Amino acid sequence: MRRKALVLSIVGAGALVLAGAALAGNGGTLPPAPHSPNADSVRQAYWFVLAFAAIVFVGVEGALVALIIRYRRGKRARYADGVQIHGSTRLEIIWTVVPVLILTAIAFFIFIKLPSIADAPKASAADSTTITVEGHQFYWLFRYPNGAISVGTMTAPADNVVNEGVHAPDTDVLHSWWVPALGGKIDAIPGRTNHTWFKAAAGVYPARCSDLCGIQHTLMTATVSVVPRSQYESFIKERAANPDSIALGKEEWDHVCAVCHKLNETYVGPSLGSNPIVTSAKDLTGILRNGVGRMPAVGSNWTDDQIAALVKYTKTIVKPPSANGS
Amino acid sequence: MAANADTGVPAYRADWRRGRVTSWLTTVDHKRIGILYLWTALIFFALGGILALMIRAQLATPNETFLVREHYNEAVTIHGTTMIFLVIVPILGGFGNFLVPLMIGARDMAFPRLNALSYWFYLLGGLILYFSFFAKGGAAAAGWTSYATLSTLHEPGRGQDLWILALHVLTLSSLAGAINFIVTITNMRAKGMTWTRMPLFCWSILTYAWLLLLALPTLSAGLTMMLLDRNVGTHFFDPAHGGSPILYQHVFWFFGHPEVYIMVLPAMGIISEVIPVFARKPIFGYKAVAMSTVGIAFLGFLVWGHHMFAVGLPTAVDSWFMITSLIIAVPTGVKIFNWLATLWRGNISFDTPMLWALGFIALFTIGGLSGIFLAAFPVDWQLTQTYYVVAHIHYVLFGGSMFGIFAGLYYWWPKFFGRMLDEKLGKLHFWLVFIGFNLAFFPQHLLGLEGMPRRIYTYSEGGSWEVYNMISTIGAFTMAVGMLVFVLNVLKTARHGKRAVNDPWLADTLEWYATSPPPPWNFERIPYIISPRPLRDLRRRLTDEGRL
Repeated sequence: MRRKALVLSIVGAGALVLAGAALAGNGGTLPPAPHSPNADSVRQAYWFVLAFAAIVFVGVEGALVALIIRYRRGKRARYADGVQIHGSTRLEIIWTVVPVLILTAIAFFIFIKLPSIADAPKASAADSTTITVEGHQFYWLFRYPNGAISVGTMTAPADNVVNEGVHAPDTDVLHSWWVPALGGKIDAIPGRTNHTWFKAAAGVYPARCSDLCGIQHTLMTATVSVVPRSQYESFIKERAANPDSIALGKEEWDHVCAVCHKLNETYVGPSLGSNPIVTSAKDLTGILRNGVGRMPAVGSNWTDDQIAALVKYTKTIVKPPSANGS
Repeated sequence: MAANADTGVPAYRADWRRGRVTSWLTTVDHKRIGILYLWTALIFFALGGILALMIRAQLATPNETFLVREHYNEAVTIHGTTMIFLVIVPILGGFGNFLVPLMIGARDMAFPRLNALSYWFYLLGGLILYFSFFAKGGAAAAGWTSYATLSTLHEPGRGQDLWILALHVLTLSSLAGAINFIVTITNMRAKGMTWTRMPLFCWSILTYAWLLLLALPTLSAGLTMMLLDRNVGTHFFDPAHGGSPILYQHVFWFFGHPEVYIMVLPAMGIISEVIPVFARKPIFGYKAVAMSTVGIAFLGFLVWGHHMFAVGLPTAVDSWFMITSLIIAVPTGVKIFNWLATLWRGNISFDTPMLWALGFIALFTIGGLSGIFLAAFPVDWQLTQTYYVVAHIHYVLFGGSMFGIFAGLYYWWPKFFGRMLDEKLGKLHFWLVFIGFNLAFFPQHLLGLEGMPRRIYTYSEGGSWEVYNMISTIGAFTMAVGMLVFVLNVLKTARHGKRAVNDPWLADTLEWYATSPPPPWNFERIPYIISPRPLRDLRRRLTDEGRL
């Protein structure tokens, strides 16, 4: 009876989980579908480990269930002795050596795959670019080779090797840059720059911060928009030529301000819909660069142009109460 | 009989210390201190569990607003800190306190007053942590890992300082306890109890104590640096002034990984006691199990970097930490295989302690295997900081440590309190928690693979995220119902439970030689030990003499 209960419960629990998986399509049995060679190699490494893990899982759990069934007490006396075996040196050696061989195989395969994951392929300047990824509480800022800036959305050239230098300003906290479809995480750390890369076809790939960085860590998401090289070139050229564009201002509002402020209600911070400070570059500068109260210095390293861009945009959405008296 | 066994001087006890409450407040008896540890840890387990249920309630459905932002981060931080520092580590210390002197044939711990100090520091640390919810700015909210510079420059609330204080106090408590265990086990074993005749649980507590002694000072150093950075203006972790936030991670994980084995090895020690008794066999490969305990502890100091693969350490360093982490799987496997071999050709009874022990093997195996994925650092780059890691640590620390702890509670309850727990309720408790646990945590592997990061308070994705999160929440509440059954069991048997004889399971180790519960002096006489199974020797002698 007990054995039946055990088997039934295990099968039942397994079935529930599988039913969940089936309901959800085939989600979650492998890392996210790869769209970059490094992410693809990670998935292969995952497969390799999974194969061994599955064998060990079936072996150990199978042995456990088989032993439980075969050597249950049944009709024997409760305190009858089992066979008094104290050990076996030969078995100890076997179950030490076999795992060593399995783990060696896993390590070996990882080292074979490693260069295709960690090292960016060589590419000419025309087929590659370098984008700086900067993590701030609670948004991602991207700097392009010609000095152009975007916030919240990285625009990158398709089928090019995109080298990413990932860091956070000295006064900020630790973040972790992750584009699941384009490879693993790399931390954005104040005071140092880490490097990673991807090479992807045109498409839109969600990205996010994956290391707890404060109260709105949850909302620290971004998008990687991979577009044809020509489109990428014109995008950064346009941005560099208009460093205070309203387009940048909108990105700043959406990804920097709106994470904690709403126009018409108090959120994490006060409502900004009619706040005259938000439309004054002079008043905003101090707050953005130094923070105020609970608000972090979200714009600690912003240029005047970046602030001007934000003000251009806020002037279109924030309506300070008209000064009736004057 | 209130005589000091060693000196023959009667122990003096003032009248005021004999009251029902004061006797507990002033006790230096290892068994009473052990019981204080157990109850305190179980209460904190309930509090940490309530936080976990709040987290699961928030994540049950997308865009939920029940517990968000700083409140969610506080819940996550205090849940983790509670379960690690206020539940698993001290409850294992409680088991050790009660059982080690009995198992090695001693009349108390080496330093009874230090032992009491250790407990009261533990309670103080726990109270500081929980009262920090009322601090200005709320409780700590930077995660149980409290990475710099979030914890140093960006958490202005007093909660973070109280978190540091609580951990400092708990560290002192554990250090005092560790020294006590080491001295007791090294010096106070009964005549004839050589190292290889000592119960495996005592091996695990000895290893636990050495790990605490070697790893905790590093945590204290890290906490002190954090405290100074926050309040005095030092810049240990501040890159703007030449410090390094990575330094904190090295310091924290140099402590933090041995901490995992601090929490798992004594649970494995419990399993090594329970399985032979209910399989009616000696443990298979005693020396291999004891040596693998020590081996895991040693290797545990060489793997801390596997928590930091995404930090961007040099490839050679990542490779080293991958190899050492994979090597730990070998002694861990040795333990699992020896437990399985102990079942082989046994006469297995499925009493509640055995169910928890078998559950431990089943679940810890899964936690060990998912650890291999995380040790392979390029794979870890995808999996780290996601729900895959949350699933992994819960399979290790709940499926492992907590299942071991419940095996121990059901097994030694008659020795602790003199009454048996109810078997029917015990089995119901086990099955609810076993099924609930797998429902709660298995889907989290899948969520992690799909890219759900940990420590986010909500998500907007529908589809599989929604399904898995809902299953996980249902599982968590199923476990909670199981825990209520345990409470019911404790309440029901407290008055009407079956009285326990000295050795109700017909076990082999020395603690069962004492009455249930044991008297303050533990044993009338301490037998000479001739094997690792003194009670079996005794039963055989009595049988030979025709007295049993």
